[in-house]
Amino acid sequence: MISADKIERCQIASLNMRKNILHLAHQAGSNGAHLGPALSIVEIMAVLYLQIMNIRPFDPIWPLRDRFILSKGHGALGYYVALFESGLISKDALYTYEINGGSFSGQPSKDLSLGIEYSGGSLGLGLSYGAGIALAARRKKELFQTYVLMGDGEVNEGSVWETVMFAKHNDLSNLTAIIDRNSMQSDGSCEDIIRIDMEAAWRGFGWDVITCDGHNISELLQTFPNDRTNGPRVIIANTVKGKGISFMENSKDWHHNRLTDDLYQKALCELDEAGGVSVGN
Amino acid sequence: MLEIKHTTIRTLSILGQRGAFGYALNELAKENEQIIALTSDLRTTSGLDRFNNAYPERVINVGIAEQNMIGIASGLSTLGFVPFATTFANFASLRACEQMRHHMGYMRENIKIVGFGGGFAMGMFGITHYGIEDVSSIRSIPNIAILSPADSLETVKATIAAAQHKGPVYLRLTGVMNQPMVYKEDYDYEIGKAVQLRDGTDIAIFATGGMVHQSLQAAEQLDKTGISCKVVNVHTIIPIDKQAIMNSLGVKLLVTVEEHSRIGGLGSTVAEVLTELDEKPPQLLIGVSNEYKPAGSYEYMLEQYGLNFMSITEKIIKRYGEVK
Amino acid sequence: MTNLEKYTNVFVETFEVDASEATGLAYQSILAWDSVGHMSLIAAIEDAFDIMMDTDDIIDLSSFEKGKELLAKYDVEF
Repeated sequence: MISADKIERCQIASLNMRKNILHLAHQAGSNGAHLGPALSIVEIMAVLYLQIMNIRPFDPIWPLRDRFILSKGHGALGYYVALFESGLISKDALYTYEINGGSFSGQPSKDLSLGIEYSGGSLGLGLSYGAGIALAARRKKELFQTYVLMGDGEVNEGSVWETVMFAKHNDLSNLTAIIDRNSMQSDGSCEDIIRIDMEAAWRGFGWDVITCDGHNISELLQTFPNDRTNGPRVIIANTVKGKGISFMENSKDWHHNRLTDDLYQKALCELDEAGGVSVGN
Repeated sequence: MLEIKHTTIRTLSILGQRGAFGYALNELAKENEQIIALTSDLRTTSGLDRFNNAYPERVINVGIAEQNMIGIASGLSTLGFVPFATTFANFASLRACEQMRHHMGYMRENIKIVGFGGGFAMGMFGITHYGIEDVSSIRSIPNIAILSPADSLETVKATIAAAQHKGPVYLRLTGVMNQPMVYKEDYDYEIGKAVQLRDGTDIAIFATGGMVHQSLQAAEQLDKTGISCKVVNVHTIIPIDKQAIMNSLGVKLLVTVEEHSRIGGLGSTVAEVLTELDEKPPQLLIGVSNEYKPAGSYEYMLEQYGLNFMSITEKIIKRYGEVK
Repeated sequence: MTNLEKYTNVFVETFEVDASEATGLAYQSILAWDSVGHMSLIAAIEDAFDIMMDTDDIIDLSSFEKGKELLAKYDVEF
């Protein structure tokens, strides 16, 4: 039974995260931002960073910390705002997003002092890195978990499946892949571009497969805890690209775009009216 | 650490560079628990059998998946392991080029990639297995040290140095079993410091890998015709030893020799240094011409591309005649 | 020391066996005679008889007995 205040904490965080995402995208001006991909992962990030992951905000390089690898680097905005919510970075730091030469560029650059574990941007590479970490942890008999968040388009990359096979063969039970299944990729719907049966594919390679609602905090809180020993698992989270902003939802135009003053205000109003997006039980 | 007797040196030369690497890794593993080997289904081919017998739990076989191998090595290194990931030079540098860029260049993880079959070592395995564009493929990626040992003893020293080096390394192995010895005695090896093997005043040859021995033989031939020839072993292509080049500016002809494409390897690296200088000797760039020729044995391929010492000598004499 | 004694001694020292065991040895018949052991053996034989063997002969030297045959090429008589 998940406590109501855990759920509420994540809901409040999710709302804050969406507001910050909009603020930063607007601030980025003509550079634009990957808004759609950030908005779809908000609840996943909130739950992981506030409730599930074993981390020490004031000690980002604590060796026994759980590791989170943002393999879908274009989800950066959704990631940075979670780092802030968890206390790993300050608001001042967060607000340097997309400043030229800054530490928080459009896709994350590894910097352990900021809690950024991995340099994202090139799809299909993060699971391999995460599997290497998970393997190392097992060899050193350390109990931390490794989470790798990928996009559903991202699994088009063959390199992903090399690691999928490896992780199962090596029984990496301390490795969790998460698929942000918002059913869209840059040019449109995944169904139209490369259609696969996602659950069957992972199951075919021997992984444990769990499907859940990626915006339902209660479900996420129940799904994430991991005391399994029978090999790696994938959590296929059904999400909506651009979730929370009506004109961005399921729109390929908002994979990456500029947020003008008008649209920013419009989006903010929607958030204020909704007063929080995801409703968990 | 390891005692370098002259029979050890001979043993290593008979093994060839791959076997020498395996030998070195085995020695390293005795003293350092963090040493780990990765292979993409090429454990035996990589010279890792003895290592595998001694430390089976420290060999990770990722199967035929070079791209994953680099990512796994990278992840392992974050917890302090020192991974040596081995495969053919081609597959490391071309199939997994972006992974090398990402994990070694961009994230600078402490991993060592060993590319064997550099040059034409793989003989009848054919063109797919000739590592003749590996250096050029990765040379422009920052932060990767590129090592290219001249013989088996140097391979051992390079492997040990790579393990101690803090940062990503690409170790390129050339030649076949029973590779001629360039070094008959132990010597000081330092990443980035080229070694002058022979002094001379008319010509300077900067060679790397298996071409060092060929160049030494060429220098002897040139000597007989009265041409005084210096030979420098460039065992580290990146970072290039600029001082070694500066020390050779007084010659009438500077020659570079590599078992690699003429485009983008050692010759290009040296040319890039020379291009900044106002006064410099002309450069003769000897390497693999920009074409694929039908496959054959190692010796045959060297002959086809003009990379045995006789061809090298001829090319040098011709060019020297034009510039002296 | 006769050539045979010298030759046997190489096996004794390289593989740490008795002289009686040495005569029956072949490549991979004992753990020590793996590919690295093989090369050490060759280097030691070359050193003992002051010769340099061809690659083909290095590969062909698959047993104590075979080695004796191959060394004839290098003017080593037993």
